[in-house]
Amino acid sequence: AESMSPKSVPPHALCSFSFLSSWLPQTVPFRGSHWQTSLLAFRASLPMRAQPKKKKKVDVKREQAQKDRMKKKIKKLEKAAPEMIPIEDFITPLKYSDSNRVRSLPPLSFEETERRVLLMKKWCLFKQKQDKAEKKAIQTLLEAQQEALKELRLESEELYQAAIRRDEGLFPFERDGPNYTPPLPGYDPPEGKCVDITKVYTQ
Amino acid sequence: TAAAPRPWRLFGAMCLLRLPRITQPLEKEEEEMAALMGQIELEKSLYSDHEIRKLEEEQQLRRRKESAYDDDDEAPGKTVIMAQDLEDKWEQKLLQFEAAPRITDADKNNNRTSLNRKLDSNLMLLVKQKIGNQELWLLPQVEWQPGETLRSTAERAMAMFLGDHVQAKILGNAPYGIYKYKFPRAIRTEDNVGAKVFFFKAFLQSTDLSQAELKEDYLWVTKDELGDYLKSEYLKKVNRFLLD
Repeated sequence: AESMSPKSVPPHALCSFSFLSSWLPQTVPFRGSHWQTSLLAFRASLPMRAQPKKKKKVDVKREQAQKDRMKKKIKKLEKAAPEMIPIEDFITPLKYSDSNRVRSLPPLSFEETERRVLLMKKWCLFKQKQDKAEKKAIQTLLEAQQEALKELRLESEELYQAAIRRDEGLFPFERDGPNYTPPLPGYDPPEGKCVDITKVYTQ
Repeated sequence: TAAAPRPWRLFGAMCLLRLPRITQPLEKEEEEMAALMGQIELEKSLYSDHEIRKLEEEQQLRRRKESAYDDDDEAPGKTVIMAQDLEDKWEQKLLQFEAAPRITDADKNNNRTSLNRKLDSNLMLLVKQKIGNQELWLLPQVEWQPGETLRSTAERAMAMFLGDHVQAKILGNAPYGIYKYKFPRAIRTEDNVGAKVFFFKAFLQSTDLSQAELKEDYLWVTKDELGDYLKSEYLKKVNRFLLD
């Protein structure tokens, strides 16, 4: 004869036990079943006790099914194309699309546009001449070198071979370019710390 | 294999270049173009935060003057820094800084032995050497000895005139130019017809040469000034491999 008193609850009644705990007003800890040996070992003993009741195959199958589902999800995620790293230079921030930002300048006069066009043409010619002169200089450089190598070959073959060999120590060649003014001797630059806040994206 | 005695004596010469330290002045067209580019950039740009702040403050000032506003109600005890004040402060700070002059003292004195001259162009080393019975201004050269490559001959030439502590980047193993001349008939023999001088180029990398003890006379000259010192034939060959 089963009674609903707290002391004698059937051992397999997991769900009925929780029902029991919900409507019991008292807060005194009690043993869930007579299978429980101590009050403190509540959580540990119950599932252990319940395990022999479950069939092992169902467990293994469920776990395997779960693993497969997880693997499928991972494969799907991997197959999806990697997210593009945004080029921050090409995205104009929204605060620059305000209309009050637009510069108000008087329109260009006819003389000004004419002057600009003529200047562009002069510049084109200037750059063309500069480029031609550079190319010519490089050509003479190459010719002089070829001549020197030819003469060297006439002199001695081994020196020629030594000259043709690639110079490994030449590249990478680094040099600081020229500035507008030469460095000031004894200049003490002001103290300061530079904090780099560029965002780094990883794919 | 026995090598036949060659009639040409070989020399390795080093053209040591001190690269420019400041930019060359802009040509007229370049300056005009730079100004035009600046104007176009200004026209195509939008107002920046600083400019908007400036415009708003100017508007506020105008409104205050017109309506004779009472300032104390608006900002009691608060000192407002205007954008214009900031600009003035920055201007002052810029004027206080004095950069080093582009034309140095050596330029003014035309002291051709110093490296600080003509900071915007390449300088080459010239030394006075005795060839035969003449004292000539040449790029430093030294006779080739069997067993070394021509590049090491050139390095030896450089070390002989400037000392061991000079750091220079030699541009490759191959010579850049050649100058060959025949000895005057008096000295010419069957085995010794003339000499071939192979030029190598290098960039000077050590900045100060105070440790160098130069026994002979030396000069640092630009490409245009080479004509003052070198003989015409020699100069022609040297000019071919020098980019200005």
